[in-house]
Amino acid sequence: MERYDVAIVGGGTSGLTALRQLANLGKQAVLLEAGNTPGTKNISGGILYSKKPKNGRVYNIEDVFGREFIDDAPYERSITQYILHATSKDKLYSIDLTPVHEYQINYAYSVLLSKLIPWLAKEASDMSEKMGGGIISGVHLRSVRWEQGNSDIVIDTDELEPFRVKAVIAADGVNSELAEVTKARNKFSSEQLYQGVKVVIKLPETILEERFKVTSEEGAAHLFAGDVTMNHIGGGFLYTNRDTLSLGAVYHMDSLMDNPIEPSRLIDTLIRNKLVAEFVKDRVPAKKSSQALISKDEEIRQHFMAVKLLKNWNNLRSEYYSRDGIKRLIESGKYGTKDEIESRIAFLENELVEKYNYEFGDNYVELEYSTKLIPDGKRCRMKAPYYKNILFVGDAAGRGVFVGPRIEGLNVGIDDAVRAANAVARSLDRNNFDEQYLGNFYTKSVEESPYTRDMKEIDKDYLKIFLDCSKNIPKDIVGSRYGMIFKLMSSGTLRGIAVGFANMLGFDRLLPLVESVDTYVNVPVELADRLGKTIDSNYVPTTPSLQERIAKLDYNDDSIPHIQVTKPRSEFMVKMASLCPTRCYSYENGNVILQHEGCIECGTCAYETLWRHPRGTKGVSYKYG
Amino acid sequence: MPVRPLNVGVIVKLEPDFSEGNVSYNPDGTLNRAETKNILGPHSAAATLAAFYCKVKYDAKVAIGTMGPPIANQALRQAQLISNADELHLYSDRIFAGADTLATAEVLRLGVSRMNNGLGADIVISGHRASDGETGQTGPQTAWKLGYPFIGNVIDFHIDQEGKSIYAKRFISLYGFYDVIEEIQAPLPVFISADPSYKPSFNTISERLSLARNLNEARNKADNFEKYLQVFNSEGLGADPRYVGLPGSPTIVYKVEKIPKAKAKRRVEFVDGNDTVKLDMVAKKLIQLMTEAPIK
Ligand SMILES: Cc1cc2nc3c(=O)[nH]c(=O)nc-3n(C[C@H](O)[C@H](O)[C@H](O)COP(=O)(O)OP(=O)(O)OC[C@H]3O[C@@H](n4cnc5c(N)ncnc54)[C@H](O)[C@@H]3O)c2cc1C
Ligand code: SF4
Repeated sequence: MERYDVAIVGGGTSGLTALRQLANLGKQAVLLEAGNTPGTKNISGGILYSKKPKNGRVYNIEDVFGREFIDDAPYERSITQYILHATSKDKLYSIDLTPVHEYQINYAYSVLLSKLIPWLAKEASDMSEKMGGGIISGVHLRSVRWEQGNSDIVIDTDELEPFRVKAVIAADGVNSELAEVTKARNKFSSEQLYQGVKVVIKLPETILEERFKVTSEEGAAHLFAGDVTMNHIGGGFLYTNRDTLSLGAVYHMDSLMDNPIEPSRLIDTLIRNKLVAEFVKDRVPAKKSSQALISKDEEIRQHFMAVKLLKNWNNLRSEYYSRDGIKRLIESGKYGTKDEIESRIAFLENELVEKYNYEFGDNYVELEYSTKLIPDGKRCRMKAPYYKNILFVGDAAGRGVFVGPRIEGLNVGIDDAVRAANAVARSLDRNNFDEQYLGNFYTKSVEESPYTRDMKEIDKDYLKIFLDCSKNIPKDIVGSRYGMIFKLMSSGTLRGIAVGFANMLGFDRLLPLVESVDTYVNVPVELADRLGKTIDSNYVPTTPSLQERIAKLDYNDDSIPHIQVTKPRSEFMVKMASLCPTRCYSYENGNVILQHEGCIECGTCAYETLWRHPRGTKGVSYKYG
Repeated sequence: MPVRPLNVGVIVKLEPDFSEGNVSYNPDGTLNRAETKNILGPHSAAATLAAFYCKVKYDAKVAIGTMGPPIANQALRQAQLISNADELHLYSDRIFAGADTLATAEVLRLGVSRMNNGLGADIVISGHRASDGETGQTGPQTAWKLGYPFIGNVIDFHIDQEGKSIYAKRFISLYGFYDVIEEIQAPLPVFISADPSYKPSFNTISERLSLARNLNEARNKADNFEKYLQVFNSEGLGADPRYVGLPGSPTIVYKVEKIPKAKAKRRVEFVDGNDTVKLDMVAKKLIQLMTEAPIK
């Protein structure tokens, strides 16, 4: 059996950071990733934060990947605006939370994981190769075992011969199979999870910059609370990428269980919000229905011609609206002036309209639909994130900061990964993989992380900035219940006492009060109704059907189902018929039936099923993430 | 003591690329072979893949050789991309023109001896045959000229470097069957032809790591494939003009004709379906035929 020092399971941001950090420390590690290539299985919102807390230290991505990360990595934009919108129908009340966003940060970049992760993977594997390690994609870990009298871990996969390692770093995400097979923790319950739903929308670069009033390097984040969540605890987000938008929302699973609505419908509701609609709007061609009787051959010919024109139109327009696009087009020698390009675009449009029965109008272009669970670290972080010589990091350990508008999993997983790698390196040096030496050391390190503090208690300073931003909110809001809190919290001394008291109670006790339909829905709706301004727009986006959304995804179907339904009649499973984002469950004769093709591995149904990821290279591959 | 690295030689045949924009015609409308771009045929690709397997698994040195016109670059680049080869050989000379399989084998024999810095090859791999009308004899004939044992239609193999032998599995056709797998051990050096269905598999961590490394290297090398390319003419190979090109080709294609259809030998006899005596005869006849027929 082959032997390696360390195995890392999962090539998301956490796993790759662990690999690179171990390599930085001169240690050998192999990373297993089930996806065909790294970055095809990962989704995020996503804003990647780099932080500088006042107390204690966190490890940021550039601490591991070096200055090259800032200079070369394919992130999207540096987020410099952060605005919260309370919504009620077509009314909107906005609060500028940029100071909250900027609290203790070095920077915040919007990222698309299927672009960022391949870069991280290359950087990590180049370095790791020198230590005799590297990344092995398309391999799915099935199980781990310990042989008698030996602390080495034997790893079984679906694809390779078993091999042996001294320690494992589990970075296999929220639906961690390592946690499941070792019983290192319980499965996360609906109370501990949010369902994240996201669509990526195309928007030409310079149009985006004009619309969001940002420069070519900057970007904006807009958050939404109120009726956009259809009465669920949660909120929406819209982040600007280079030439796309990440629009999504997170919904507390408990509240989805109480009021199950299909994720695809939920996101449609967000898209149809007047402000969101105006944000995503673009000039889009659509085929008009035609009455003309033409032969099949002629129809095919026309179709091919139209497709060609559409492609040309699309490419030229994207280039025209991209940074320095006009300059590039002129330099290519194809066009003499800006006017020429514009008239060529107009000509192509005209051809499509006149000859091929197209029309151009306001709509939006959706590129990708995705869903994944998000663990709420306040409720589910593993208190001792290890089992024997396996250390859990990031989503796998249920670690993420989820406070108010903050959704931070990327940076937390990165911080964990460095701590885990450091702990493992220390054990390798001493050849000591005892719980005391490895697991406890790692736990202590993670407990010292300022992120863990954020999962345990309210940060008084953060709260102050938050309240300062919200100082214009009238104090008699919602029968004065929350108004009272605002009033109390706005005074420095009272805030100190209140926060101290609240932290004594702990997040566990406070959460039902703080995270409620009142705070997430009723307060924002009332704010918008009372103080909001009406958005003047008559554009109503035509959202794609779920079938169209699924059709855009890439699948490599596994003939063996990776999920087994064990309780076809349970209340939970019946709800999956509504909550599975790709309608894999149907309800027939009192039983829930699964059709696993089309599954996007979000994990929503995992709680009451035998749930595994598909075998290596199988299942869904995201193009944006 | 570390074992001497395994030297692998691959002989490939380039085939005209009939995809759009790559074909060139003579003024009379016939194919201009010298100008038409070449690609690696699927059979040669299988051979190249087998060499890649040696590279990944045994850290072998790989050289790829072909005889052809001097514009074989695209195909050799492609071969390097597949195999991460260390040397690319092009055997090109006017006097090689008109060669039949035997004369081609002579050039390839000489080519193999130049491979891997003149060390030759412990294992030479060819494709099953080319897809543009070649008869599958070049491989065996080159093996014969080299004096190496030949194993055809190999679907899987491994090398025992210390024992200096190869263990190979190959498809053989037996009484018209095509699904018999034979296992063979042969001493090195050896000549194998890769079956078109050949597909390497890498099942251990070390192989997968080596795979990733080699894929990476292959990409980098293929970007600068000219650096690895050596062109040999007849003189460079030390060829004896009597054995190469037209003079070395005993085969003469005199004329190509359609094979005429043979006359049917069957006799037809009509039987009245109501006549039980006649039907009984038919049944007996069928039973007789069936017992005589070889079991298939
Ligand atoms: C909609 C949404 C919005 C979000 N917004 C933000 C945000 O703005 N900012 C932020 O910081 N965080 C955000 N998060 C959270 C953040 O995306 C996650 O915390 C982070 O991606 C987790 O990274 P990870 O590496 O721990 O896990 P993952 O990215 O889930 O990686 C796990 C990897 O393990 C692989 N794997 C799993 N099982 C196996 C196995 N058995 N064998 C081999 N490989 C396996 C998977 O294929 C996957 O690649 C958001 C999440 C969602 C869903
Ligand atoms: S079947 Fe797949 S897509 Fe549907 S809920 Fe379960 S994991 Fe998510």
